[in-house]
Amino acid sequence: MKNSNDIIDDIASKEYEFGFTTDIEMEIAPKGLSEDTIRFISAKKNEPEWLLQWRLKAYAAFLKMKMPAWQHFDMPQIDFQNVSYYAAPKQKKQLNSLDEVDPELLATFAKLGIPLNEQKMMTGVAVDAVFDSVSVATTYKGKLKELGIIFCSFGEAVQEHPELVKQYLGSVVPHSDNIFAALNAAVFSDGSFVYIPKGVRSPMELSTYFRINAENTGQFERTLIIADDDAYVSYLEGCTAPQRDENQLHAAVVEIVTLERAEVKYSTVQNWYPGDKDGKGGIYNFVTKRGICRGAHSKISWTQVETGSSITWKYPSVILQGDHSQGEFYSVAVTRNRQIADTGTKMIHMGKNTRSRIISKGISAGHGDNSYRGLVKIGPRAQSARNFTQCDSLLIGDQCGAHTFPYIESRNNTATVEHEATTSKIGEDQIFYLNARGIDTEKAVALIVNGYAKEVLNQLPMEFAVEAQKLLSITLEGSVG
Amino acid sequence: MTNEVTTPFYNYIVDGFPGFLDATPGNFLPLREEAFTRFKTLGLPTTKAEDWRYTNVQLFLKDPFTFSPVAGTVTETQLAPASIVGLDAYRVVLVNGHFQENLSTLPAIKGVTIEPLAAAATRPLVQEHLGQHIHLQDQPFAALNTALFTGGLFIEVAANVIVDKPIYLLNVYTTTHKNAFIQPRNLWIIHTNAALEIVESVLDLSDNGIVLVNGVTETIVKENAEFSHYNLQMAAKDGRYIHYTATEQEQYSRYHHFNFTLPAASFTRNNLSVALHGNYTESNMLGLYVANDAQHVDNHTFVDHLRPNCNSNELYKGVLLDSAKAVFTGRIHVNQIAQKTNAFQQNSNLLLSDKADINSQPQLEIYADDVKCSHGFTVGQFNQEALFYLRSRGIGEEAARNMLVGAFAYDITDQVKIPAVQDYIISHIEESIVIN
Repeated sequence: MKNSNDIIDDIASKEYEFGFTTDIEMEIAPKGLSEDTIRFISAKKNEPEWLLQWRLKAYAAFLKMKMPAWQHFDMPQIDFQNVSYYAAPKQKKQLNSLDEVDPELLATFAKLGIPLNEQKMMTGVAVDAVFDSVSVATTYKGKLKELGIIFCSFGEAVQEHPELVKQYLGSVVPHSDNIFAALNAAVFSDGSFVYIPKGVRSPMELSTYFRINAENTGQFERTLIIADDDAYVSYLEGCTAPQRDENQLHAAVVEIVTLERAEVKYSTVQNWYPGDKDGKGGIYNFVTKRGICRGAHSKISWTQVETGSSITWKYPSVILQGDHSQGEFYSVAVTRNRQIADTGTKMIHMGKNTRSRIISKGISAGHGDNSYRGLVKIGPRAQSARNFTQCDSLLIGDQCGAHTFPYIESRNNTATVEHEATTSKIGEDQIFYLNARGIDTEKAVALIVNGYAKEVLNQLPMEFAVEAQKLLSITLEGSVG
Repeated sequence: MTNEVTTPFYNYIVDGFPGFLDATPGNFLPLREEAFTRFKTLGLPTTKAEDWRYTNVQLFLKDPFTFSPVAGTVTETQLAPASIVGLDAYRVVLVNGHFQENLSTLPAIKGVTIEPLAAAATRPLVQEHLGQHIHLQDQPFAALNTALFTGGLFIEVAANVIVDKPIYLLNVYTTTHKNAFIQPRNLWIIHTNAALEIVESVLDLSDNGIVLVNGVTETIVKENAEFSHYNLQMAAKDGRYIHYTATEQEQYSRYHHFNFTLPAASFTRNNLSVALHGNYTESNMLGLYVANDAQHVDNHTFVDHLRPNCNSNELYKGVLLDSAKAVFTGRIHVNQIAQKTNAFQQNSNLLLSDKADINSQPQLEIYADDVKCSHGFTVGQFNQEALFYLRSRGIGEEAARNMLVGAFAYDITDQVKIPAVQDYIISHIEESIVIN
């Protein structure tokens, strides 16, 4: 049996399996950020004037903003001029079916295990694949269309459903929300758009798969999900990137709107390239995700498994505006090597009898630093609001850090807010117990970690749960505290 | 944090500094000047500073205050309201931070030194420790105190001396027709194997004026020593109190800090910072705040686990009435070498009015893996079932509520080891709870 130091070294040296690049002809905008860049992107996407104006407004806001300083890590210097804001696989004409997609591209997605091929009915997941900045294929479109569900790339939505985009774009995350959201609003090139009409339950999981391929590009996609009255959808998001020595920026925005009695479940398995064991390279994952429960009895649930990125910085939030609305946040964040995760949520209770539940599990190994940062805010009109928060941290090795920074603001005396947090390591007694039953130490650790994260993994849709569980055991294979 | 807003108070201090400096006692000039430079760099905090996010201290500094380096005259009869019935203790009276020998009863024990800090200025111990245990880098008010403190007490308990009775330290504040800005500074050193209990209280005798008190207390608890500090904050209406308590513990030492903030001072900000520099220490920090009217109570605590095998235990409870506002920030920092640390923190609140407001930030920052750390936070109101139960047994609503508040506070009050002080606090809590 290996001793614990060997095992910790093992974790540290674990290779990233999605680090390959795809050799494909790309159209890349020159590096740099200016109004011209924005006009270039907007023109490329053939956008209406109002959208261009909105982008320019966001750019003006971006220029006025400073980098935030409240985070619990040293903010890297990001040279916004040294990034290319548009990269797309070169294509000559409009694609009508998957057969016309570059086979090199299809091979890439096959390598990642993403079923783009509609013939493979077994998975029953509709996928929108975003390669660098552009959506390359959306599957099951026809079937969804019969039900009135709109699931397409953002660019397509702008062309075909401008009224919906205009109504909801920026209504949850304003163009001037924070510096990265402003940057995204100015330069976003594509993303996914979902609209579920009144009373419709989406018969399948909708999924987006993001891949950064080109060098020196940033990925700035934007997702907008609208669930009309009584609608339901479960949405999945996955991501990978090639292994490179430079850091790449990913600044996405996700907006969710639920109307009366609607429900949206949003799951993420984030596995961007985390950098090597000395912290070289990796993705800066600075994402703004926010949902608003606008209607009464509506519900938004965020589930995330964060194992990649050199820095993860995101706070999927829910604004509970409608009475009796519900917000949920389930998170597992793993940091190892020199990875940093500063993640958590915001639950803003505005309506009566609103409920929120936060379960956050942090796992730190190697030199990883893992922070939970969350806000629970009870407004003066949120009668009988209820929040429960639990954030646990697991430390593997003595070089890592685990931190909790909750903010609790209560302005209503009928509200009940509870928060608890614990920090611990994997107990030697637990390992011993499993050893005594013939389970070797590596498997025992995998078992314990999976048990620890179970509460969150259980929230994931089946296909994702299996993937996430595998990812977790690969990431932390054989760790002994 | 830079001073983005220059306020009249800030300008008054900066402009008057050379003159104020002449009025300060003791020979601490280099320390004072360095601290003042620090204060000017930091400026007065705005709500943009993370530490002052929920407390807009500018609101409480709007009134004109006058730098008050002198003591007023106080007679024995004036002290009556602050007496604690049945408390058998030595007594030290400070008026505006200045030691009053005629009103004090000091212990006649060999090895116990109690004198004004200014008089102790030449002692090597004072030169060695004063200003060395506070984080001036990010504490503008502690820096301001260091620059311009005028009173305060030096207490030293020699090795192996057990002080037989508690010391009742009464801080009296007076004003005459003017708002007074008062800055007491204490340095307490408890040597190896020694033991000391201090009960500290406030008596505001201000006449037609508001007091603004910015105090700092530095304490060193040496090896295997034990120190209990009961801080009772029951000041008069309108008073504004900012206090920084920094304690350093050496190995095997035990420290018990009790903080009771009761009505009616309009603003109280307590910073408690405990640094554990030795192995096997024990620290208990208990706090209770009961606030009514428009009181603003802000407690910031910081426990720094620097060495292995230390235990810290923190429990702060609050009861908020009327439009009271409370802030709690608790931070536990566990250094990488501080293995086998046990650190617990809990903040619980009862909101008894729809206008009351609580902001809490219980924080853990952990760099060691073999530790047990937890924190918790709750906020709620009366348990309606408990209330119903009591009422169905013929107990009136007001009495029932008092019982429930008493039960909520019991976790803290029960830990008070001096019966007279315990009774005093319990009766004060009862008086404070009037629910409209």
